[in-house]
Amino acid sequence: MLSSSRSHKPAFSHLLAGDWLTIILSAIIIAYLFQTLWSHEQAAKVQIRIGDKVHAAYDLNQQRDIIVHGAIGDAMIRIGQGKVRFAKSPCHNQYCVHQGWLNHNGQVAICLPNQVSLELIGAQKPYDSLNY
Amino acid sequence: MRKWPISLIVIAILLVAVVGIRTLKKEPLYHTQSYVFGTLVDISIYGEPEDRSKQLANQVMQDFQDLHNRLHAWKPISPNQPSELGALNAAFAKSSAPVPISPQLASILTDATNLYTKSNGLFNPAIGQLIGTWGFQNDEFGAIKIDDLKIRALVKANPRMIHIVVNNNTAYSTNPLVKVDLGGYAKGYALDLAADYLRKQNVKNALINIGGNIIAIGQHGDKPWRVGIQHPRKPAAIATLALADGWAIGTSGDYQRYFMLDGKRYCHIIDPRDGYPVQHTQAVTVLIPPQKNAGVLSDVASKPIFIAAIDDKPKTAAMLGIQYFMVIDQKSNIIVSSALAHKLEWLDPEVNNNSHVKLVTLP
Repeated sequence: MLSSSRSHKPAFSHLLAGDWLTIILSAIIIAYLFQTLWSHEQAAKVQIRIGDKVHAAYDLNQQRDIIVHGAIGDAMIRIGQGKVRFAKSPCHNQYCVHQGWLNHNGQVAICLPNQVSLELIGAQKPYDSLNY
Repeated sequence: MRKWPISLIVIAILLVAVVGIRTLKKEPLYHTQSYVFGTLVDISIYGEPEDRSKQLANQVMQDFQDLHNRLHAWKPISPNQPSELGALNAAFAKSSAPVPISPQLASILTDATNLYTKSNGLFNPAIGQLIGTWGFQNDEFGAIKIDDLKIRALVKANPRMIHIVVNNNTAYSTNPLVKVDLGGYAKGYALDLAADYLRKQNVKNALINIGGNIIAIGQHGDKPWRVGIQHPRKPAAIATLALADGWAIGTSGDYQRYFMLDGKRYCHIIDPRDGYPVQHTQAVTVLIPPQKNAGVLSDVASKPIFIAAIDDKPKTAAMLGIQYFMVIDQKSNIIVSSALAHKLEWLDPEVNNNSHVKLVTLP
């Protein structure tokens, strides 16, 4: 570009290797910046933790049952178009199942005996931690 | 050849932009969860390198596990090895001869006894027998057959913290029915230990949550840490508030450990005066300003307020020096001290119409 404007000759034909390098690198970097800065906010997801590990995160916009292997057995987690709940759990008191559907950012359901937790995560967390 | 520097400058500027944005976008927040103390422990550390945060959080978790092994009221470390507290309880039941205890347990027992006295006996960790009779000294508990005779006998025997004599790292009990259960103390104690440890390690910003009791160090970037308060009957937070440096928050609820029998809810918080689970209250939250034992107070102070009758709650809070508290009664009416109300941001739409929220000022 710079070379063409100085020499008054048709553009592109006088571009040197360095110019091409600049153009390509700039394009890549700009594409990266665009993607990073203009990316859409993530749809709400549910993060499933088992013990001290993050097991997986699932998009809430689907209909799906997920079986996870907790400390004392298999739990069934149901995702139903924007919400999620414990559908079945091997624990004794079934508090986790009784909690019902979660559908807001930051909501948490924990099954202590089975060491499985669900947390709804979105672009913004309404709080850092929950007092219960 | 004079073009080269300009091209290079353009690339360099763009690269700096990329690196800068990557750094800005990646928040220096480390977050980990683990199951210790029979509950969920959740630690966030802000502004430290990830490796260091990980190492510090692991150390805290390990310390919690050690505490759990020493202080657990009913779970032995292994089938033949009771916890330090378990062994002491066995000694209390057997005779009134002093047995050696660790300086740590000695100071815990002394502190818990002071809080017992301060709460007029409503915070009474000596009633482990009653808690066991209701089936709550068990990982898996369910509806029990209520043993009224035994409950009445235990209430009559009236085991109290002041029956424990701590002297020179030994302890004995003048009442063989004293069985210490630190379920309402140990988590708060662990919070204080963890906060002290992280501060000594020069951690400037962290949030520690043990089974719902939370203490804050510093803040989350340029904003204070924010915590949600669980609604006792909904799977959602009822309100949020900023937890500033050194502040702690704790809630006692009838929804964490309970069973249903004949349509009635029996929770793990037992009134030492009649030996029965409290049934007039769903939840009590206390917020504790920075002080040496903020964690302990966040755990302990909600219990006497929970146990006290609805009309006595503000008085009980005042007796304990608690300015910031919220009560949710069995009809889901909310009673909140004005001091705390100023700090709360309600999330529950039902609360915003204010029909069932009552503000109280302390007597």
